Amino acid sequence: MKKKSIYLAVFAVVLVLAGSAGSAWAYFTTYVEAAGTQTISLGDETTVEEEFNSWTKHIVITSDEDSEPVYVRARAYCGSQYELVYTASEKWTPDSDGYYYYSDILNAGEKTSEFIVKIENVPEDVTDASEFNVAVIYETTPVLYDEDGNPYADWNGKLDVTVEKGGNN
Amino acid sequence: MRRIKRFLKSPTATMLTFVLAAGLLLFSSIGGARAALTYFSETYVSRVQMSNIGVTLLENGKEISKRDYNKTSDGTWNESTGVLLGNMLEKGEEFKIGKKYKEELNVRNSGTIDQYVRVSIYKYWVKKDDKQQTLSPNLIDLNLVNVGSDWLLDKSASTDERTVLYYSKLLGEGETTSLFADTIKVDKMVATKVTQYPVEGKKNTIRTVYDYDGMQFCVEAKVDAVQDHNAEDAVWSAWGRRVTVDNETLSLR
Repeated sequence: MKKKSIYLAVFAVVLVLAGSAGSAWAYFTTYVEAAGTQTISLGDETTVEEEFNSWTKHIVITSDEDSEPVYVRARAYCGSQYELVYTASEKWTPDSDGYYYYSDILNAGEKTSEFIVKIENVPEDVTDASEFNVAVIYETTPVLYDEDGNPYADWNGKLDVTVEKGGNN
Repeated sequence: MRRIKRFLKSPTATMLTFVLAAGLLLFSSIGGARAALTYFSETYVSRVQMSNIGVTLLENGKEISKRDYNKTSDGTWNESTGVLLGNMLEKGEEFKIGKKYKEELNVRNSGTIDQYVRVSIYKYWVKKDDKQQTLSPNLIDLNLVNVGSDWLLDKSASTDERTVLYYSKLLGEGETTSLFADTIKVDKMVATKVTQYPVEGKKNTIRTVYDYDGMQFCVEAKVDAVQDHNAEDAVWSAWGRRVTVDNETLSLR
């Protein structure tokens, strides 16, 4: 009998709680949502073609078809006994750091105009070009944009590099 | 006294108490039914304005998603869900890292009752539908505006990935909030994060891969709206957040 009384009391409490639950759920609410994405593409790949004739190097840099746009700069090094003469080009502009900067953005699949370096003061008895050690180096940097969308190059930017021990395909 | 005690301990007393409780409940329902009867008997002279809640998310002034309780009050919702960032780029334009793009976001009350609103903004990176937990949401720079004035930042509910904002003003029927964001850009730092791997089979060859290459940045906005009547309890019940509403101005506790 005692148990029956307890059950009845619990039942009564549940009834009262159920009655008040209705008012708790009665608030007007609604919600709405939306999402969107944009893809980031990074990474560039360029190749250099070099042609040598008449003691002159003709250099053209090509951007890969899948490459992101880049800025390019180049220069040449040689021993002190020779002189390097760069042929002026409207798109290759010298700077005080010794580099020549290509003025255009190099987009995917595009080539630079020729970067021409002539080696002067070559002794007449030298005929083998392989005896010369004239190295041309070039560098690229990804095109960045300011907040207004104007492109610029950051040649002093440093990479935040993580080194993995395993291979990557 | 003993008789009373004996009576209180008896099953009869328990039953009587129960019947009394049930009776109280029934009478409260009858009250409602009587009120309904009165209401119906007077429809021929009264106009009834149904209370429908509704909210719309706007992007650059255009409706993106909305969810309004139907004016027929038949238990259905007039709703549509759109896509953010869909018109961010011109036709044929490539996304430019570092450039600020217009991304004006705000909320309109598209229902027929006044309401309080809050917005939860999520920023994260995905690749092929997989969320990238190691990439930084902070590099997705959604510029929040009017925070600290019209919009209140709930610091306790916000993380690098999620930002929760409460609109401090009562939003009337048809009214639009001030903006809570105006531009979006991706920080140029994404172009500096690289990982280098040794190439298998090629001694002394290192492959450098941009960590963010091919990643998608995702922006998600969820808007909640709640009635203005009994707002403090409604917000607590619906959103689980204690707020104070004083003279139609909401503040976080």
